[in-house]
Amino acid sequence: MDASSQDSAVLSFPATALSPPSAASTTLEEEVMEFFVQFRKPVLRYVCGLGATVHDGEEIAQEVFLALFRHLCWGRSRRNLRAWIFRVAHNLALKQRFADQKAHARTAGGEFLMETRIDPEMDPEQRMLHLQRQWRLLAVVNVLPEKDQCCLRLRAEGLRYREIARALNISLGAVSISLTRSLARLQSAAKAWI
Amino acid sequence: MKHHPLHISDVDLLLEADGELSRRRGGQIRAHLAECWSCRARRVELEDTIAHFVRAHEASLDGELPSDDSGRAMLAARLRRLGESGNAPGLQSPFRGLSAQFAFGCLAVALLLTGVGIWKIYRTDTASAAINWRAVPDRNLTPGATRSVAARDVCASAPRQDWAVAATVKKRVLQEYGMDRAQAHSYELDYLITPELGGANDIRNLWPEPYSSTAWNAHVKDELEDRLHTMVCAGQVDLPSAQRDIANNWIAAYKKYFHTDKPISGAST
Repeated sequence: MDASSQDSAVLSFPATALSPPSAASTTLEEEVMEFFVQFRKPVLRYVCGLGATVHDGEEIAQEVFLALFRHLCWGRSRRNLRAWIFRVAHNLALKQRFADQKAHARTAGGEFLMETRIDPEMDPEQRMLHLQRQWRLLAVVNVLPEKDQCCLRLRAEGLRYREIARALNISLGAVSISLTRSLARLQSAAKAWI
Repeated sequence: MKHHPLHISDVDLLLEADGELSRRRGGQIRAHLAECWSCRARRVELEDTIAHFVRAHEASLDGELPSDDSGRAMLAARLRRLGESGNAPGLQSPFRGLSAQFAFGCLAVALLLTGVGIWKIYRTDTASAAINWRAVPDRNLTPGATRSVAARDVCASAPRQDWAVAATVKKRVLQEYGMDRAQAHSYELDYLITPELGGANDIRNLWPEPYSSTAWNAHVKDELEDRLHTMVCAGQVDLPSAQRDIANNWIAAYKKYFHTDKPISGAST
């Protein structure tokens, strides 16, 4: 997307007339890039789970890490940056959804399932059963209350309860109850299929 | 999920599985699990549900994601631009350590003073502001970028070749300038340093230049580009100087190389 990636011999101009980024800024850039590498996919999965398209998700991820760069530049708190990242992503995704109601089209979930993680040893019938099970599971998740979906997805991305509470601005107890409730729904749905 | 009151609650079972309990409470739960098959079975079911959900959650998007590299390159470019522009707030917030109310007060006063200043400048020099508003690019967004070429390379190619800009890049430039909805015929997505003078096909070298809304428009800049190309090839100006002049302020460069204070052609409006 960025034209600079098309031409490796491009020189920033004019090198002398512009003040180069300070050493501290460069270090922060590297740090933010490391965060990006680590959290891009989880952030994308999370915001797409909230209804964003992959394209919008990419844009949101970019905005999140630009905001992180500014946050660090301003010398603001470094405590619990993972929760901070997801909180910003959450807010941007909701904002995006508000701006574009079409984003809610992504509800069924099943059609987006990829077969990349299916055991290649499975025969076609097993694969179909496996996919069906995943579709149903995601269909159940998609009709959970939004807060429950958010808690579940953030937990699936590895956030601890404290981080989820911070990202969603809810209490620790609310996180715990929400996760228990959601898993109970998934469990009873799974039992009904069997 | 109903269970006997003496058994572990679902909430505690999950808290223990997630390692969220205190050491003492966790110990009690584990002791109970060691002796209660019923609760252990529930725990296994819980873990199964989690495993199935996690697999479905991860599989739901992984195959769709675009490559990591494109996003990385884009973020790197945007961070670099942010760092170079000085918008990286001096690496320290000016209000750090002050109370929020005081900082807000300072900000309000600063905005008020800025507004008064802008109004005064606007009153005294409205005409000049109108001419220069869009005629020169925002240095933060479009500082200019060059390819590694020598004068003989740029003179070997015929001037005014068609240097196409990718639609995605064009969209990005327009977004950055807040001109997403601008009429396509009212501007030219122009290279600040023209490719005929070694300018790069890079987002840092592109901006939407008006065709006719200012006296210093795209047609006038084309004249300067042709003049500079001729002068570089004739050895009257060296290539780096030409690039620097056009990147710093192309209007000033026009005045310098055409020895005039206003556009001389009929292209201007």
